[in-house]
Amino acid sequence: MNISARPILWLGLAALLLAACSGGRQVQNDEYGTDNQRELALRMSGSNPATSGIVVFGVDRSRDTAGGGGGGPGGGGGGMTVNAYLWRATLDTLSFMPLASADPFGGVIITDWYSPPQAEAERFKATAYVIGRQLRSDGVRVQVFRQVSRNGTWVDAPASTATNSEMEDRVLARARELRSQSAGR
Amino acid sequence: MRKILLGTTAVVSAVMGAAIMAPQASAQEAPTVRIGGSFRAFYGYTQQSSQSSNTATGLPLTTGNQVQGLPPDSTAATVVGGNGVAGTAIGSSIARQGKHDISTDANIDVIVNGKLANGLTYGAQISFNTGSNGIEGRQVVGQRSSAGKTTLAVDEMYAFIAHPRFGQVRFGDEDGVMGGLMNSGWIQGFGTGGVHGSWESFVVRQAGARTTTAPGGLGDNSKIIYMTPQFFGFDFGASFAPNSNGGEDTGCPNSASSGYCDASVAFTGARNFGVLASGPDQAVRRNEYQLAARWRGNFGGVGMSVTAGYLGSGAARDMSGSGQQYRVFNNLNVWQIGAQASYLGFTFGANFSQGDFNFLWGNVLRGGRPGEQLVVGGQYSAGPFTFGANFVTGLFEGGDRTTYTEVANPAGAALGSILTPTQNRPTAVNQSTTLASQRRWGLGVGANYRIAPGMDLIAEYVYYSVREQGRDLDTNRTGIQSRGFDNVFLLGTRLAF
Repeated sequence: MNISARPILWLGLAALLLAACSGGRQVQNDEYGTDNQRELALRMSGSNPATSGIVVFGVDRSRDTAGGGGGGPGGGGGGMTVNAYLWRATLDTLSFMPLASADPFGGVIITDWYSPPQAEAERFKATAYVIGRQLRSDGVRVQVFRQVSRNGTWVDAPASTATNSEMEDRVLARARELRSQSAGR
Repeated sequence: MRKILLGTTAVVSAVMGAAIMAPQASAQEAPTVRIGGSFRAFYGYTQQSSQSSNTATGLPLTTGNQVQGLPPDSTAATVVGGNGVAGTAIGSSIARQGKHDISTDANIDVIVNGKLANGLTYGAQISFNTGSNGIEGRQVVGQRSSAGKTTLAVDEMYAFIAHPRFGQVRFGDEDGVMGGLMNSGWIQGFGTGGVHGSWESFVVRQAGARTTTAPGGLGDNSKIIYMTPQFFGFDFGASFAPNSNGGEDTGCPNSASSGYCDASVAFTGARNFGVLASGPDQAVRRNEYQLAARWRGNFGGVGMSVTAGYLGSGAARDMSGSGQQYRVFNNLNVWQIGAQASYLGFTFGANFSQGDFNFLWGNVLRGGRPGEQLVVGGQYSAGPFTFGANFVTGLFEGGDRTTYTEVANPAGAALGSILTPTQNRPTAVNQSTTLASQRRWGLGVGANYRIAPGMDLIAEYVYYSVREQGRDLDTNRTGIQSRGFDNVFLLGTRLAF
């Protein structure tokens, strides 16, 4: 028995060494299985156990977090009024641009102007609207604005309409990824 | 623009990848204390093969390590009738079982969470449960003990400290890494958990048919757990528990050696406690350790999770009246591998366990066959609906192949009594034997409708069967009843907050 258990023991030791020397991703409590009746019921019904219940002491921060793994396929979860997967996916997708404002209750994300390093004579700004609590393909709308530099001043220029839908597709793909990662837990 | 967009999407991918791998930025958070809970009420319609019997079993129902609570064969019992004439009972002392019941259960949790500026998160959870716990089964909380069915008991209670770089330590009464925290392939996210769900609340434990071998059944014995962060999709965990009990104190009022005592490495009658018995979690399991390695990732939108794990333990020895210690149990020695995949609301999974364990993660008596179990399941979620089914089949240690009896002053013994093994072999054709291995299989089908966040309507059907060739599992009926089965249909609601 001891001999057969040894490889896994070594694996455990190697894991400890890994933990000590390089940065991994922190595994959140809701990524572990549970036998707790309340947590099981909440997970099955698409609610986030970490943000449910009554706060009897301290500040309830669940309303200003962006989903954090919560949010079922049909619900916002955690006090959000928009779908948590779409919200998180939109933030992820637009994170390459500086963020100007994000309102999780209205579902609006506005970025600041951003010039790609490859084309410094033009800049972009995006506005994204996450609509509703459902994870639906029409639940997100992205509008990209473009300006080009002419004689040192920025003037508006049209952005191709395909850009908007391509951004939306990226958001939806990311939302699907997030959804499938958390499904079945 | 297209070129730029492609370029920037590459940046997006890189940034997203980095965001997943990097420790999260942290801001200090004062601790919060939350109170949450759950309640469930189900109506159940049950058909099962067993019957009520007024025959005294002679032994407390909690002491068997195997198929438990079987009454002695009434065909052999001599009874005195109303007319004062002695005769032989022929299966007359039985009554049918009621089919309708309503089962309720609730729990209250206190949850503490906090975060320090250096990214360290910490907290604790204390869970109070009335009587029994759905999936866990009654073997852990108040199983057939003298406590009332609605007595409040503590289920889990533990503290944790987690760091983005060093992982998480949990300390207290909680499941182990193989006993529920990191398993893959157990599909139970529909109904009440299908074949591992609440149907067990409705059946009479005839032939041990009620208990199923699911991760949580290993129990929340006091342990220390370490789980690493995730590296390249992999995370690892290990846990150690000194014995099978939870809670405060050792459980020993004096130095008399007993199974209720955390400190007993040997005690009289240990041979009866292969699986957890009533009251304090009493079993021979000692020095339990669990190891798990899990990989999670994504292939083109298909979420995958694979876990390999190991469970090992020692066993307390049995002690005879003359103070000799006997090793009557095998150590626990279980390998498990499981995998599951999720795509567009579908989740499928399978899990296989093999090694020295019996149907309730108990230690196998020496000479008993090792256990093996396969679980397969699938579920689908669409809007407020979830549907699912799971199936379990397994071969386990059947009746004891060896019976240990204490023989007082046998020939050759200098003094006191010694534990004497007897091989169980049938002496005639068609005689009930205890040599067989036990086959258990079950199928669960369930559906949920979410009427509000945290509140579900649930309907579920479960069939469960126990079969042990040649062994009489219902001795009050004539012939060898080598098969027991349960049919449970349940309908009800569950609310969690």
